Amino acid sequence: MAVDKNYRSIVTRPDDFHAFWSDVLSDANSISLDPTIEKDDLRSTGDIDVFQVFYNSLDNVRVSGWYAVPKGAGRKLPAMIASPGYLSDPPIPKDWAAKGYACISVNPRGKVRSRTQFDPGYPGLLTYGIVDRNTYSYRGFYVDAWRAVDFLLGRDEVDDSRIGAVGGSQGGGLTITISAMRKEIRAASVSAPYLCGFMDAIELTHTYPYQEINDYIRTYPERRDDVERTLAYFDSMSFAGSIECPIIVNVGLQDNVCPPETGYALFGVIASKDKTFYEYDGHGHESGRYLHGAVIDEFFDKHLKGAS
Amino acid sequence: MPMQQPAGFEEFWNEVGEELSGIPVAPEVEPIPMRTTDFADMYGVRITSVGPYRLFGYLSIPRGARSASGKRTFPAIYYAPKNGSVLETIPQGTSVFIRERYVTFSIACRGMRNSDKPYAAMYPGQLTDGLESLRSYVYRGIAADAVRGLDFLVSRPEVDKTKIVAWGNDIALLAAALHSGATHVVATPSYLFDTLEMASTTSSYPLEEFNDYLRLHPDRSDEVAAILGHFNLRWHAPAITAETLLLADHESGIYSPGALADLANGIAGKVTVHESERSSFKDGLFTEKWLTEKLIGKDAEPIVPEHWQSYV
Repeated sequence: MAVDKNYRSIVTRPDDFHAFWSDVLSDANSISLDPTIEKDDLRSTGDIDVFQVFYNSLDNVRVSGWYAVPKGAGRKLPAMIASPGYLSDPPIPKDWAAKGYACISVNPRGKVRSRTQFDPGYPGLLTYGIVDRNTYSYRGFYVDAWRAVDFLLGRDEVDDSRIGAVGGSQGGGLTITISAMRKEIRAASVSAPYLCGFMDAIELTHTYPYQEINDYIRTYPERRDDVERTLAYFDSMSFAGSIECPIIVNVGLQDNVCPPETGYALFGVIASKDKTFYEYDGHGHESGRYLHGAVIDEFFDKHLKGAS
Repeated sequence: MPMQQPAGFEEFWNEVGEELSGIPVAPEVEPIPMRTTDFADMYGVRITSVGPYRLFGYLSIPRGARSASGKRTFPAIYYAPKNGSVLETIPQGTSVFIRERYVTFSIACRGMRNSDKPYAAMYPGQLTDGLESLRSYVYRGIAADAVRGLDFLVSRPEVDKTKIVAWGNDIALLAAALHSGATHVVATPSYLFDTLEMASTTSSYPLEEFNDYLRLHPDRSDEVAAILGHFNLRWHAPAITAETLLLADHESGIYSPGALADLANGIAGKVTVHESERSSFKDGLFTEKWLTEKLIGKDAEPIVPEHWQSYV
């Protein structure tokens, strides 16, 4: 099927969207971050120190992350928040450290190392508590990712004015929300965004993970309106209007997981004046990674390292 | 110096096989209404592997198996365990409508979600768990888990025993080597072929797990090499009689067609090597077409996601 590049999402941002998230953040802010950081000798190398990180988040859930830092920098470093995919286990971000960034790879609740207090499983995370925005799984999941910013702000080696965010698929959706909610983010790269046009995607494709929502609605058809109402508060489309930092977005035109139509629609509503879209024909959910990797590196070099 | 099969290789695997054959599969099969559709039923399955250790899997059976005669069988896709925490019903990005054409069975080996009690693996971490000895290395149990999954699948009356594909990464190949039930294999080797030699060429995970381990335990390199030798697909290849599709990295990658040449040549069954086109779309479409031709027929169309359908 031909991709409709002018696709308009059916998602509408709720009128009380900002009030809802303001209340959530108010709850979160009442909880001390209380970060701990422990060197992981097994994962560290001659050039890179790797740490296991833990901090508190919404509902007093203790979440974890991997933190990788180049050794012996001797100066403030630009920093990066790398957000994970839906199914993949959060990686140790040695690759970003090797490029000169202090990078935290965040493990939101339910991910490996962050599962003891909350674990809806897979499939399951996408529909857990979905009939109520106050119980939906991503309410806490998002805050877990946003609080990675607070972790970085507390690090002596990090230059607070040079923090970026990067991710693909779910990591792309999380990067949208982080960039919208935390003005400390100075540049963002989003690949094959997930959590983006939920109610569009379940019609555009019939593959997992979005299929979890179709499974849920098929089982409980009377709850469809509640589902749609909840998801509007969590949709990247609703967050995109609050993004002000430079941002790049890339999609594969044959993406079988996150429909590229939703990527176009998302890009259209991103508020930032400095935004660029990259489409890769002949590519699926990897969204042209081997071609686009250099684009991402150059983008962050420019915005976080001052390269011209 | 030419590589050699480790001493005791046959004895080790014979022992695993004997241990497994002495343990009842003991299946429990429960419907999962949420994942059941009008074209396929989904079940949660629990079976026992060595340890004894209880495993979980997702079994999908086409509704057509409920035909009037009650004897209709379907080709089967066995999604072998993988090196990651999440057990999927069918892989992300796969059209859900394949469940109308195939029996599918995905299984979580010990350590993965749903099979993580009492052992919950870390990722990274799983690849070096128990590497203190051959007996304690977690992959002994994981290999048995993969075989046990095939034991269960071939026992199902809905399955056409002449058309069972084992699909996954290295563990799919290991399962096909240790169990004759797989008639076809689709595999993406990622860490069990010449493991330490390949790890020395990269700092990327999953192979980096072995580099991490040996960086911390450099004195154990000979022992680790000896243990991993038992799992090296190089030595298992002659036992793989299934027709096999090897999904190789691009020529610039670690497991390129060149790097996998000995594996491809060593597999007893017919082998097709597909070099990655660095596109999950192109590689995925090639795989779906190959699978459809082998399990359904040359004239059949593959069942693919919406955004691939123009290219079938």
